Amino acid sequence: MSATLIPEAGSATATMRRNFWQGVWRVMKRKPSRMAGVVIVVGFAFMGVFGPMFFPEHLPGNVEAITQPPSWEHWFGTDPQGRDVLALVITGSRYVLLCAAVTALITVVVGTGLGLFSGFKRGRWDTVIMRVTDMKLTIPGLPLLLVLATVWKFGSPIQMGLVLGLLGWGGVARAVRAQTLSLRERGFIEAARGLGLSTGHIVGKELLPSMAPYIAMNMLIAVTGAVYAQVGLFFLGVLPYESDNWGVMLNLAVFQAGAMIQPNALGYLMAPLLAILLLTLGIVLVVDAMDEIFNPRLREE
Amino acid sequence: MPEQAPGVRIGGLTVVYKTSAGELPAVRDVSLTLEPGTITGIVGESGSGKSTLALSLLNAVQPPGRIAAGSVEIDGLGDVAGLRGEQLRKARGKHIGYVFQAAQNSLNPLKTVGKQLLDLGRSHGVEDLPGLVREAKELLGRMGLDGARVLDSHQHELSGGMRQRVGIMLALVLNAHLVVLDEPTTALDMITQANILKIIREVHAERGLTTLVITHDIGVVAEVADRLAVMYGGRLVEQGPTREVLGAPSHPYTRGLIKAIPRLVGDIDEARALPGRPPTLTTVPDRGCVFRDRCALRMDVCDTEDPAAVPHGSRIVACHAVTVKEHA
Amino acid sequence: MTLIARRLAGHLARGFVMILVVATISFFIINNIPGDPMAARFEKLIEQGMSPDAAAQSVKVLYGFQPDGTLWQQYLDYMGGLLRLDLGESVTRPGTPVLDVLAEKAKWTVLPVLAGTLLSFLVGVILGVYAAIKRTGKLGDALAISGSLLHGIPQYVLAMLLVVIFATLIPILPADGPVDILFEPGFNAGYIGSLAEHAVLPVVTYALSAYGGWILAMKSSVVTVLGDDFILAAELRGMKRSIVFRYIARNAILPLFTILALSLGLLLGGAVFIEKIFNYPGLGLLLIDSVNDRDYATMGGAFLLITVAVIVANIVADLFYTVIDPRVRSGEEAR
Repeated sequence: MSATLIPEAGSATATMRRNFWQGVWRVMKRKPSRMAGVVIVVGFAFMGVFGPMFFPEHLPGNVEAITQPPSWEHWFGTDPQGRDVLALVITGSRYVLLCAAVTALITVVVGTGLGLFSGFKRGRWDTVIMRVTDMKLTIPGLPLLLVLATVWKFGSPIQMGLVLGLLGWGGVARAVRAQTLSLRERGFIEAARGLGLSTGHIVGKELLPSMAPYIAMNMLIAVTGAVYAQVGLFFLGVLPYESDNWGVMLNLAVFQAGAMIQPNALGYLMAPLLAILLLTLGIVLVVDAMDEIFNPRLREE
Repeated sequence: MPEQAPGVRIGGLTVVYKTSAGELPAVRDVSLTLEPGTITGIVGESGSGKSTLALSLLNAVQPPGRIAAGSVEIDGLGDVAGLRGEQLRKARGKHIGYVFQAAQNSLNPLKTVGKQLLDLGRSHGVEDLPGLVREAKELLGRMGLDGARVLDSHQHELSGGMRQRVGIMLALVLNAHLVVLDEPTTALDMITQANILKIIREVHAERGLTTLVITHDIGVVAEVADRLAVMYGGRLVEQGPTREVLGAPSHPYTRGLIKAIPRLVGDIDEARALPGRPPTLTTVPDRGCVFRDRCALRMDVCDTEDPAAVPHGSRIVACHAVTVKEHA
Repeated sequence: MTLIARRLAGHLARGFVMILVVATISFFIINNIPGDPMAARFEKLIEQGMSPDAAAQSVKVLYGFQPDGTLWQQYLDYMGGLLRLDLGESVTRPGTPVLDVLAEKAKWTVLPVLAGTLLSFLVGVILGVYAAIKRTGKLGDALAISGSLLHGIPQYVLAMLLVVIFATLIPILPADGPVDILFEPGFNAGYIGSLAEHAVLPVVTYALSAYGGWILAMKSSVVTVLGDDFILAAELRGMKRSIVFRYIARNAILPLFTILALSLGLLLGGAVFIEKIFNYPGLGLLLIDSVNDRDYATMGGAFLLITVAVIVANIVADLFYTVIDPRVRSGEEAR
């Protein structure tokens, strides 16, 4: 791994970037679980985008095989309408992932914006924003969502993503603010100002790149919370039936097919559960990997 | 349990640290004698092994380090390197007092100094605890502090100089007669430094102690120590009476050190820094002289043979060039 | 004012503001429910022959404010009612004040949550110390991984897995309500035994979901403290092992108190799921049921109470911390 001595600025950055990715590769190889995490997350993304394309719009139901336990034909059994559970999970993943994407977007945009603003301006605005964030973090999220669900049925994935995003930017905002303050303390901002750089430039070129990893990590954490929340809300049955997403599956499994009472419907129950587990696990592993890559203190060179 | 100052004889001490490249020596084949009642100063840069050497006196080298060879004999205790368990624990504090660097937080932040003093007393089976407290207050008073107030304070309520004095008090309150001070003046302002050094000298004389001072600051050694030992790369390269070593250094490293100090009078350009950098644990050569890469007197034999510590009068120097010169 | 009193006052003020905010949110939600249930009820009562005034009064008793009148007036009525601890009446249980319903259900939430927290705290702290000391060995690694894993699994997933394993596949524990209805309530062995039996799975679920957080936090805290200078200093001064151990323990547990409030908050929020799955008649189940039954006064009350519980947990945890850590005390006094 040698840095070439070509005195062109372009090549130097290219070399640095290459070294960075080589470093990432090394970290991944060291603990294969991290690689697994990336594979899982990418796999789910794939499944969400392309999966439903492999199945017809309305899955065929076999009335003669309702609520069957796992078998060779149906790996996870069938639901009360005779549909293959595995197919249901795959088609249902689109909702979950679309919603997660929307949540991620809003969390990042709102969180970063407010965090930067707060860290930059300080003073009264900072206190106000921080108090609001604190308050939001204290009010228990699930009950709030339940109560909100009475006035507004935010069933569609985009609406759901919107609501969850608006409730979940706290973590990102805190992290961004902390980073901004620390960079400010280290004189980055003053130095840039001294050089006459505009605020926009300071934010875009100096601050954001170094904060990107923390933003990404917090966003992923917010996404796990969002997945947990949306599945939970559908499971509790407070939102109208939207599509066969995982939460609805859980709801039907427990309350209609009695999955917790008789073993027949176990497949129907376990499939979405395992899907959630796997997805959350994947994200946690990726966050762990990112933490080790970007947090030099943890790296065991 | 001797009532007077104990002598210390370190013989051929080697301390190694386990790394991914195997066990590397932080201290190699060091022999040093502390005469009873003297103050000895060990001078070295960071990474020279001086702190490890100090810890060895209490057999307190932390894993992944361990004492690999040699002995540390202390009058009244025997070979400390062989002590374990309860015996070792009792020796620490009661026979040997250790004073930490001022910058370190050597006190439990959650408890008052007084409570920790009582913990210390109970750990060493002191029956007269009120007597111990009185002694502590006296010691603190002698060092210029309000004993009662300090005992009631928590660590964060005390300044650096106060904490250092508390450290000295804790090292002496059980009547230890061998005291080790690790960088006692680092991180203190000049005036407090002078005060602390004065206290060390006076307490040493009053109580008849054997004292060992570890420092990177030659000025400190010049002020308090009777004998001076210089460490480099884990080896003891020169030792002798302070005045003599400072006035006429033998070993090239010691000479380089002295030369690098700018004088108050005269041309500042006369001060010359040593070229190169000291070795770290992983870059220490395993054969030959540790100092050869920076030495003006380098000879062929320096590359292959480790120089032995040879006495010349009251001095002991480990250098091929010096040995040749002296026995020419 | 002493430091603690001052901090308490600060917390109470902030808590009060938060309760205000939550109550306002509740109010706006109740006011804006599609289909305007209050107006509907008002109409119905008038149809049944009640005079408009009496009908309005009746609605006010139920929901806390009248169906007509300005928004501001309604808001004031509602808030006034809250101050008097009048949360309206439950529609599904005619004639019962919401407050009474809440009081009856609260224990089914608070007790299991507290039990779960205590259990997970004890186990997590002890194992966390172990994980820190043996962190280079396989056991330490395994413990840390167990913590990470459990920390990441959503509560209801845990609950369902536990039910599937211990109630369905291997039916050894019940998962259907707080107690067997065959037993007479009271201090008899049968009742208490059944209570305990039915409480096992819910409490274990709470405990398992919180355990991860504790063990990871404790391990990290102990590792930090072990590296602290004063531990080495104590050893070099010849302090007894038991004393050094106590030094490590107290210093390591301290930062965990900041997590206590968070943990309690999470568990209280997740009570919704756990109570639904285990059919436990607590505040969470009450919230869900009242939403489904359109009993909005109760819904508002349950939501408010859950939030208040979280706020109280926060305050208690912070006060605890202030009392134990002398550095905080001095820091504040110096201001």
